[in-house]
Amino acid sequence: MVIPLHRVNIFTGTKSGIAIDSAQEYADLIHRAKRPLLVVGPLLLASLPDGKLLLEYALDIAKAAGIPICATAQTRGKIVESGVQPDSVYDVVEIVNALKGPDWQGVKKEGNHDLVIFFGIRSDLGNQSLSTLKHFAPHLKTMTLCKYYFPHANYSLPNFKKDAKWQEFLESLIANLKKGD
Amino acid sequence: MAEIKEITRKLEEIHKKIKAEIPWEPVGPTPMPEMPDLRQWDMRLLKTYTPFYSPFCDLCCFCTYGKCDLTEGKRGACGIDIATQQARFILLACLIGCSAHAAHGGHILEFLIERHGSDKKVDLGTSIEVEAPNIRTVVGLKPETLGDLQIALEYVFKEIAHLLDSCHTGQEGSALDYESKALHASMLDHVGMEIADIAQIVGFDFPTSVADTPLVDMGWGAIDKSKPVILVSGHNPATSTVVIDYLREHNLEDQVEVCGLCCTALETTRYSDKAKIVGPLSRQLFFMRAGIADVIMTDEQCIRTDTPQEAAKVGSAVIACLDKAMYGLEDATEMDPDEIVRRMVDNKEQFAILDSPKAAEVAVRVAMAIAPQRKKGWVAEEEAIELAKKCTNCGMCEQVCPNLFSIGGGITEVAKGNFDLIRQQFLRCIGCGKCEEECPNNVPIFKIMQTAAGMETWKCRAGRGPVMDTEIRNVGAPLTLGTIPGVIALVGCSNYPDIDDVADMVDEFARRKYIVVLTGCAAMVAGMKKDKDGLTVYEKYPPDFDGGGVVNIGSCVSNAHISGAAIKIANIFAALPLRGNYEVMADYVLNRVGACGVAWGAMSQKAASIGTGFNRLGVPVVLGPHSSKYRRLFLSRKEEDDWKVMDARKREIVDTVEPAPEHLAYVCETKEKAMPMIAKLCIRRNDTPQGRAIKLNHYVSLYKKYIGAGLPEDIHLFVRRDADIPLVYKKEVRAYLQEIGWQPREPIGLPTLIGTYPTKVPVDAVIH
Repeated sequence: MVIPLHRVNIFTGTKSGIAIDSAQEYADLIHRAKRPLLVVGPLLLASLPDGKLLLEYALDIAKAAGIPICATAQTRGKIVESGVQPDSVYDVVEIVNALKGPDWQGVKKEGNHDLVIFFGIRSDLGNQSLSTLKHFAPHLKTMTLCKYYFPHANYSLPNFKKDAKWQEFLESLIANLKKGD
Repeated sequence: MAEIKEITRKLEEIHKKIKAEIPWEPVGPTPMPEMPDLRQWDMRLLKTYTPFYSPFCDLCCFCTYGKCDLTEGKRGACGIDIATQQARFILLACLIGCSAHAAHGGHILEFLIERHGSDKKVDLGTSIEVEAPNIRTVVGLKPETLGDLQIALEYVFKEIAHLLDSCHTGQEGSALDYESKALHASMLDHVGMEIADIAQIVGFDFPTSVADTPLVDMGWGAIDKSKPVILVSGHNPATSTVVIDYLREHNLEDQVEVCGLCCTALETTRYSDKAKIVGPLSRQLFFMRAGIADVIMTDEQCIRTDTPQEAAKVGSAVIACLDKAMYGLEDATEMDPDEIVRRMVDNKEQFAILDSPKAAEVAVRVAMAIAPQRKKGWVAEEEAIELAKKCTNCGMCEQVCPNLFSIGGGITEVAKGNFDLIRQQFLRCIGCGKCEEECPNNVPIFKIMQTAAGMETWKCRAGRGPVMDTEIRNVGAPLTLGTIPGVIALVGCSNYPDIDDVADMVDEFARRKYIVVLTGCAAMVAGMKKDKDGLTVYEKYPPDFDGGGVVNIGSCVSNAHISGAAIKIANIFAALPLRGNYEVMADYVLNRVGACGVAWGAMSQKAASIGTGFNRLGVPVVLGPHSSKYRRLFLSRKEEDDWKVMDARKREIVDTVEPAPEHLAYVCETKEKAMPMIAKLCIRRNDTPQGRAIKLNHYVSLYKKYIGAGLPEDIHLFVRRDADIPLVYKKEVRAYLQEIGWQPREPIGLPTLIGTYPTKVPVDAVIH
């Protein structure tokens, strides 16, 4: 059993997410999805020690796999500044509220999403939001790209002790997603 | 037939209790409502604002059938599903909150009736005639004496018992019905809070009918530690006011320092402007561990349960003053004070003393006896640097931090002589001490953080109690028309993502001429930030309930005066009768009073019931990100939900399209997101074009300031006609509306939900 980093939020009960650290496996899961969605949170407005904005990884992932972006909190401004128009703007609880309706038509109005990827949402709110989807949205799967384990997700990264390892994973994921084009 | 007889008998009993024969107003349809009486109103609210559940865990472990796995649609052994279990949990939280305030009110009433008699008149001064809007509306009683308050309290206690009963295994089986019950419990909470604070104002002579209450000192630096220091902690002023009385009677007020933590601090400064506020709940453990207090007196709610152990470590004496928290201490209530003092001073024993005057005498005598022997001092920076060198920045502290940050980063910087990061972290620290407990190297993190705690002093305005009727008359029209863009109520606990957020929010909205009201820990921390001129928001803005005013209403129980102010707008300004007329009051507030609650640091069960009580009254509440752990929000889905109202003037149901207010209980991840959301949640359907343009101006400008370039993506939903578009953004908004094919629509003359759902209330009742 993987223990989430923020142990204050660990009590999930019987059904916990699968921890995956293989970028190839993550890329395959994303490729297999028909209508994935990338939900982008405000933690991505921080930079890594090498100066690269985390948001850049999110935008690269979205671009590599053609995933629509949902901008939450104040991320819209920075995304637009980066020259990208987010496909939708909701706050995290709003997008989750929409996603849990099986008949919701999704951000592209093409039908509800079958894979929702959370990236950059603080762990307590992120985990609670994933719990909503776990219990009330059986029609979709969830995945996280943050450096911590999220037990309420279907697929999560393990806890990365070092940012460099996480960075390596994200870069490898982007490369794998591009390969699958 | 028998059923009709029973209903008539019940109604007669209620009419007797509420003195229906006194014709100050006709009795409305729901005096002393029971669980089902306002259920239809709740169901109408819940149809649009659907409960949104975020289960904390997959299981139910309430009874010995379980644990039961509730994942994937499975039901528990009793038949409960995951949604209903969450709703039951919410009801329990609201009941705990409601009980805490009501029991506080009960204790205060008992104390004050013993002191003044039950005939003591309820008189809140010349500017307040509608003294108890919640009691009048819910109970149907106009309380004239402390004894009348007891009648209202007995009703609350009775309802609490029925509601708690519904939580038993094998009772309610519907999440929506549990939510209705939670709304009921939380409405009762506002009655209980009102009882408590009216009793306090009347019995302790707290400020009332006045706006310009004293500015009192706040912060560690404000406390003169060269004197004996008594710290009062909790919520109930029955203890702290008696300490002040004792000091006054013995001419010791200038010789002994009295300071407070959490709401007792606010209550004490309503009684004496010489009392000091240490700070909110998040400073409790820091201050205790600093050892500044010679005596710690605890009363009730939000006091650390390890107070005796923590106090013993630093040689502070402890007196537990209320039966709700006795810590296993010996009950010295009947003991001779000389004997108690002797044992506390000589043997360092701690006691429970459930007699306020005796506790006060003992506290003062012990503080004066032990203070000269005690060494009180802050950790110097040099010492902190040495202590910090033990930290390896292993990150274990982050794993247990409820605010999810690593103090290790700040500690390792301290080891290098750099205190900048730890000062920033101190603003995000909620003061639980989990990091220090977890640290494998036993780094004394709290001690090191004393260097960041700051000896600075701030100003907080003493709580002023109810909003005056005269103020309601002045702001009623501008608020309901929208020219004062809204009332923002910052309330509740101190589990903040960043403590500075509250002062920033107050400043932002007061500057924009919203009315900003505050209570509890939020009221304290609003004053804990200074602008470039060295002024806090209490010094910068006037204390009036008017556009641009910043008003400290008081403690937690003073929240009832905020809901009360909303009711008073319907009653005094719109002249709608309130007696036993809850639905009409709530419908008015929901559709016409642009108010938004902000419980940015909400942590407790009391915060849950305060917020849910506001929700039943039609006031939306914005919560901080961690509050997703309350497990339930009330969210709409914008265009897809039911925004139909009755136009009471035309008697026809109209689909307004506009989600106003959009949500009732909402979590924002960041301050930046919260700012425009708060402004948006002040939009109401009856706004005049001028008022709507003002509100949209703030919504758009806050969106641009905090979210980034461009217009809010939902602006079209709130523009009814061209006149609604704010002048500054006319061109940009018009272009956007044209691009998306927006069509104008007529504003509604008199919007109401009455008439759109089954209710005993006729549509005529909302016409004023």
